[in-house]
Amino acid sequence: MCRAAFKTWRTFDTSLTAELFQLMRLTVNDRVHDVAPRDDETLLELLRDRLALTGTKLTCDRGECGACTVLLDGATAYSCLTLAVSCDGATVRTVEGLAPPGSLSTLQQAFIAHDAAQCGYCTPGQLVAAQALLDHSAHPTDDEIRAAMSGNLCRCGTYPKIVQAIRAAAEAGAGVGPSAASTADGAPHGA
Amino acid sequence: MARKPKPTKGGFVQTIVEVEGRTETRTVELPAFEPTPWTDDVELHIVGTSATRVDASEKVTGRARYTADIERPGMLHAYILRAPIPRGTIRSVDAAAARAMPGVVAIMGPGDAPSKTRLLGNDITYAGQPVAVVCASSVREARNAAHAMVVAYDAAPFAVTFKAAVAPDAPKVRAAGNVNPKSPLVIARGDVAAGLAAADVVVTGEYRTPVALHTALEPHGAVCEWDGDRLTIWESTQGIFRVRADAARILELPLSKVRVIKDYMGGGFGAKNGAGAHTILAALLAKQTGRAVRCINDREAEQIDSGNRPASVQRVTIGAKKNGTLTAIQMVGDIPLGISGWEGGPAQIYHELYACPNVRTEETFAYINTSGMQAFRGPGYVEGAFGLEGAMNALARKLNMDPLALRKKNFAKKDPRQNRPFSGNALLECYEKGAAAFGWDGAQAKALSVVDRERLTANHVPTTRRSSTSKRRGVGLAAQVWPTGGGPPSYATVRINADASIDVLAGTQDLGTGSRTVLAQIAAEAIGAKLTDVRAIIGDTQSLPYAGNSWGSMTTPSVGPAVRMAAEDAQRQLFEAAATMLDTTPDTLEARDSRIVVRDTDRTMTFAEVTKNLGNVMISGSGSRGPNPAGVAINTFGVQFAEVEVDVDTGLVTVLRIVAVHDAGRIINPALAESQMQGGILQGVGYALYEERIVDERLGVVLNPSMHEYKIPTMADVPVITVLWAGGSDTAANHTGARGIAEPPIIPTAPAIAAAVADAIGAEVPQIPLTPWRVLAAITGTR
Ligand code: FES
Ligand code: FES
Repeated sequence: MCRAAFKTWRTFDTSLTAELFQLMRLTVNDRVHDVAPRDDETLLELLRDRLALTGTKLTCDRGECGACTVLLDGATAYSCLTLAVSCDGATVRTVEGLAPPGSLSTLQQAFIAHDAAQCGYCTPGQLVAAQALLDHSAHPTDDEIRAAMSGNLCRCGTYPKIVQAIRAAAEAGAGVGPSAASTADGAPHGA
Repeated sequence: MARKPKPTKGGFVQTIVEVEGRTETRTVELPAFEPTPWTDDVELHIVGTSATRVDASEKVTGRARYTADIERPGMLHAYILRAPIPRGTIRSVDAAAARAMPGVVAIMGPGDAPSKTRLLGNDITYAGQPVAVVCASSVREARNAAHAMVVAYDAAPFAVTFKAAVAPDAPKVRAAGNVNPKSPLVIARGDVAAGLAAADVVVTGEYRTPVALHTALEPHGAVCEWDGDRLTIWESTQGIFRVRADAARILELPLSKVRVIKDYMGGGFGAKNGAGAHTILAALLAKQTGRAVRCINDREAEQIDSGNRPASVQRVTIGAKKNGTLTAIQMVGDIPLGISGWEGGPAQIYHELYACPNVRTEETFAYINTSGMQAFRGPGYVEGAFGLEGAMNALARKLNMDPLALRKKNFAKKDPRQNRPFSGNALLECYEKGAAAFGWDGAQAKALSVVDRERLTANHVPTTRRSSTSKRRGVGLAAQVWPTGGGPPSYATVRINADASIDVLAGTQDLGTGSRTVLAQIAAEAIGAKLTDVRAIIGDTQSLPYAGNSWGSMTTPSVGPAVRMAAEDAQRQLFEAAATMLDTTPDTLEARDSRIVVRDTDRTMTFAEVTKNLGNVMISGSGSRGPNPAGVAINTFGVQFAEVEVDVDTGLVTVLRIVAVHDAGRIINPALAESQMQGGILQGVGYALYEERIVDERLGVVLNPSMHEYKIPTMADVPVITVLWAGGSDTAANHTGARGIAEPPIIPTAPAIAAAVADAIGAEVPQIPLTPWRVLAAITGTR
């Protein structure tokens, strides 16, 4: 499956034809969806605009901030740089799917306990990236945390508390890893 | 039942409110009663605890709805096309191709917006200025169509630097002149020439600070929808009532017909204080199309045209006696504002931080052909601290004096500017506490041996960051002052529902600072309820009482006292009802954990038992923020100590640790306050080391309008940060004892880091950001 991440915005193409759409199936947060995205549509647009999963945020639209981070087949991906049509058959997890509705994952609880969300805009991406880290490294060192999380920007400066939260979540057993689908370095796809 | 408390005072009075260094006189109504001050010896149970953020679970589940998440039936999307040149006129616009593109519903170009909006004119005065706006079914369609528009410009000469703008033959940046009419802005006390003549030692320096960009993760944006002649605006803003006022004025509507809603927002930092082009254009397009319209800046627009901290050049001269006593401080500053802005220059802190009889500042503000400045966390003071504290550290070196001792020596016991007492000032305690926590050894910092430094930092610094051969360590410090009194007008209502759940209503906003939580804590404390029974409802002009903008670190000291008063008013009514049920008088009652107890008895009732008896009788307390004390200076103070490592081969600076000690009066929630500190310090680290908007002088355009090229700190850049508090409840400021804390932490960070770098390399780098090139140039003496 092609996961090439490339920038498509500012497309000047006006020749809208049927070939611009492709019917495809993907699984998002354990639900199966049939969708027909445009060929220039990103996974982020698909999630937010078609599936109303607005937890995943748009901040830079070009792979610089990590706010749009999702798990794509178990590995982190910048959904703003991932073409929706490349996700045919894929399994996607977003912040909304980190825990069953009405409950909180260990990591989410740790974020709350350690005040790791200020404005909260970067938080969905931070949580997804942190969960991916814990999935492949159950007890990451601080240096591993820093390396894995430095693709997720936060302007409010929650970094020290995110580190604390990840440590606490790891101690509480939030990491089940290593899981086969994780990337080697935990860095977001396309970073 | 709902008898209002008998006014102990009454009528209107004038009071002084300081907003981001500007002083305003306001006329306010005296509150009906003034709650008893929460002094340090009053036992509090909820205020002062690190309660978790009341909206944290919304934020960690993705349920928190931000402006870009607002979806209205039939909603359209708008995209603003921006000028690619800094100055000129629009010759022609061809929108035919754009109109034919799929999804396009409406296009507005030059001349299409009412003149009152001052938008979409023919004259271009900065690159990034809105030129046209396209409204379509999706953002992508709107953006594609906008870029299919063919706009021809007649380019004109421009000025994008201070020097170019003030040159005799400079192009006219603004018709009325390129220099702001208040320039040169001189503030002076004493006689600087005499002070310098009396000095034993004089230092001079030229300090330069960059244009910094707020770079909130959530860009500016609005959703506008009309219902007949009533307009609803969802806006990511620090001031719902100011957006309402702006929109009503520009669109010529009565205030009552504009409703502004802000639920969650992804940071503001000073840039989101009113209605923007995106707001007004969305409102106009929504009117025209009869549909809701969402208009959100893309990142490039956000970095180019959503405000910035202006650059400064500060020529500083400080004179002192041999023993360190300051005799004169002078600063002459050049500040290019952009196309618009206010006089938020670096001067204020020069007048306020130290006792010095002779101080003079002279600032010249120039308009240039770049996007206008906006307040940015600690506006002016952040820039000024770099110059003032840089010069103070240079003075300490020249005097061969401990920079900490120099500061203690010149500690201002009274507000040196207006000779007023401080409501509270624990700066000396900050110095002591910080020095102890940091391991500042009291002598000139340079005297610390490398071994000592290793010992001092071994416990604090990750092992991977220990020195290697090309790396030098250095330490430094800088201090801070910032007016944080807050003030009126600000109102609150506290309602007790029939099930004893409690609503706090206040028309303020939570930028991510935690005001929702802090206000709920204050209300719960004042009424005697469990925190979980209290909900703070904020961010809606239609249903909530007025509060001002969340700027100037004002929300807690402005809205907090109003909320407390409303809660006490509600409690009084609850007690009156309970007293009849408990067959006693209200003055024998006290409340805690949502339970009322008759003092010294075992007779009790829960709030819910009382309200159940009352049925749907609505208990509603009202509160307002009283005037500020007259003739008192209300400031937050602090000091930060930094340790850095400089690679002398590459010029790369790594900040290892920061110890911050601030006095902000009573801390309502230590965990949230610590988060604010860490956030401010990290923005200070970015300002010191990485952040600089670059404008090409030949083209007049911003070269780094992205988050990759405009670098903010990442998690990998974070030093070990220790946050400590000094002082205590400041009930001279207001009856909650709390002052503001949002802005103070960013103020001393950059000069503390610069001092540490100077200590490490033995040379001062008087320009931030301290890029490898600048550091290397200072090391080799080739700057
Ligand atoms: S929005 Fe995708 S990385 Fe920034
Ligand atoms: S919490 Fe605001 S950007 Fe991270």
